[in-house]
Amino acid sequence: MSTTRKRVYGYLAEFKSASALYKAAEKVRDAGFRKWDCYTPYPVHGLDAAMGLKRSILPWFVFIGGVTGCATAFALAYSTQVLIYPTVVQAKPTNIFTVPAFFPIMFELTILFSGFTVLFGLLGLIQLPRLNHPLFASKQFHRATDDGFFIAIEARDAKFNPDVTRNMLAEIGGENIELVEEED
Amino acid sequence: MSHHVTSADIAIHGDHLDNSKVAKVKILALGVAGIGTVVSLLGLFGVFGEWFQGTFAYSWVFAFYFFLTLSIGGVFWTLLHNVSNSGWGTSVRRTFENLGSTFPWIFLFGIPLLFPQVNQYLYEWMNIHRATPDGQTVKEHLHHADHLLYAKQWFMNMPFWYGRFIFYGVGLTAVIYFLRKLSTDQDTDPNPGTARLLKARFHSNYPLIIFALTITFTGFDFVMALDYKWFSTMWGVYLFAGSTLNSMAVIILVCTFLKSRGHLKHVTGPEHFHIMGKLLFAFTTFWAYIAFSQYFLIWYANITEETSYFLIRNTDGWNTGMIFLVFGHFVVPFVVLLQAWLKKNPKYLSIMAVYTLCMHALDHYLIVIPERGISLGNIKPEIFGKITPAIDGAFWGDILAFVTIGAAFLFFLLRALGQHSLYPNRDPRILESANLSN
Repeated sequence: MSTTRKRVYGYLAEFKSASALYKAAEKVRDAGFRKWDCYTPYPVHGLDAAMGLKRSILPWFVFIGGVTGCATAFALAYSTQVLIYPTVVQAKPTNIFTVPAFFPIMFELTILFSGFTVLFGLLGLIQLPRLNHPLFASKQFHRATDDGFFIAIEARDAKFNPDVTRNMLAEIGGENIELVEEED
Repeated sequence: MSHHVTSADIAIHGDHLDNSKVAKVKILALGVAGIGTVVSLLGLFGVFGEWFQGTFAYSWVFAFYFFLTLSIGGVFWTLLHNVSNSGWGTSVRRTFENLGSTFPWIFLFGIPLLFPQVNQYLYEWMNIHRATPDGQTVKEHLHHADHLLYAKQWFMNMPFWYGRFIFYGVGLTAVIYFLRKLSTDQDTDPNPGTARLLKARFHSNYPLIIFALTITFTGFDFVMALDYKWFSTMWGVYLFAGSTLNSMAVIILVCTFLKSRGHLKHVTGPEHFHIMGKLLFAFTTFWAYIAFSQYFLIWYANITEETSYFLIRNTDGWNTGMIFLVFGHFVVPFVVLLQAWLKKNPKYLSIMAVYTLCMHALDHYLIVIPERGISLGNIKPEIFGKITPAIDGAFWGDILAFVTIGAAFLFFLLRALGQHSLYPNRDPRILESANLSN
């Protein structure tokens, strides 16, 4: 007996073109959905605004990362070169006025820490890496990397309703509407 | 993006500045510049006594070079727009060209530097050259008088200096005149096409070499030569960084002014200001990078010929200015300009542009003026007193020179704005630029 329990992920609808997707996205946004996404073969300018996406908070992470890097470098250089083991190089003073010598390190660590926060902050925010995505269960979804423009509305969205959402997607121009189910 | 801009939104006959509305400001600016120039010339040629003549010569170099960097930057942005085949900037390109077109006029203010009455106080190497006794060649004279100048004579000699002066004036003048004419001719052409676009791109690549030579060697000849013993290989890049940064600040101010008067409607928006703000941010960082690199290498190597520049500028009040520059010219604008919303807001971005220009003025003040007390005290202590970091009372001359050339700069900029359409309304890429999204 092969009974596999399945869980509904949501609806997947295809749209004819980037502009059709853009207009549909505005309507989905205005309908008040939150857990949904667009899938396109290439970046579509202005789609984030059409989807009603807010600015990412990633820049703030990066800013904090950069400041931490700068402060770490200063603390590292200052404590080792001035406080713990005062190192006289080229008759330069071993006090706060040695700071120009630390600038390259401060600059580099600012970049390094910013870079790390960009990478790991981004991976965290978009929840990558992951082994599988429920949408891979759809037979048509692979076309999102070729010529397909898709909108997927998740079932866990508060506004999701099996009939109403399906009708809405059809109304705004969605084709090949498919209920995607993931194996539990 | 409010809506998609189509050709129906583009002014067919161009978007012209109403000259009658800026007439008052123009007349006022011209009046100030005219009176200021007459007074300045009288001062520069000794009518108000030698003390004023000598101290004011430095004021003049400061003000002249400050505004020259803004004009040169205008030419640079025009060239960069063309060679990089840029689509975003088409709707603000005319502002680049208008700013660049002030170059020939501002350069005219450099003519007093050609006269010994003026440059005897500025460029000591010329005095040593001129002190050649009869019957000796300059080379023989320098061989005994100053070996450093003997070694540098291939570059620092009077005929070559005059030649370079002419090259600076003629080179970029020809470049910006040709490119601006090419651009403005298109505004009234019934069949615009892409011919001018391609022509402008082609004829912008080699002028970049002329530009690079001009910004580098005007920096050497007018500013670095104030102390002929000092040299810095980063000097040209340093001045270039300040020049591009602050001409972008002027461009932002002009665009904000035009927007507030209802011009550039449909074709420029927050996205354009965002890009210009990003360039302002980028060159703020670039300036800091270059300024620090220059300081760092000289500080570390500690070679006598090189450190003199910073020794003077780290003495007394100049040191306060230099440290203030680190925070005021870099740290503050760096943190403030990080924010995207601010760059998209013309009003806030303009405040930052004004601030940046103030810092540029401080930067150039610290480049030129600390040399005054040292050189004049060296040349004629009986008139200027002995060598001192700063000559009391010479400050008023700095303001006079700055206001004079500044008023002239404003006049010629407003004049250029009023001459043609404020954006290239028949450029094939105007719609691409108007619908910019970044």
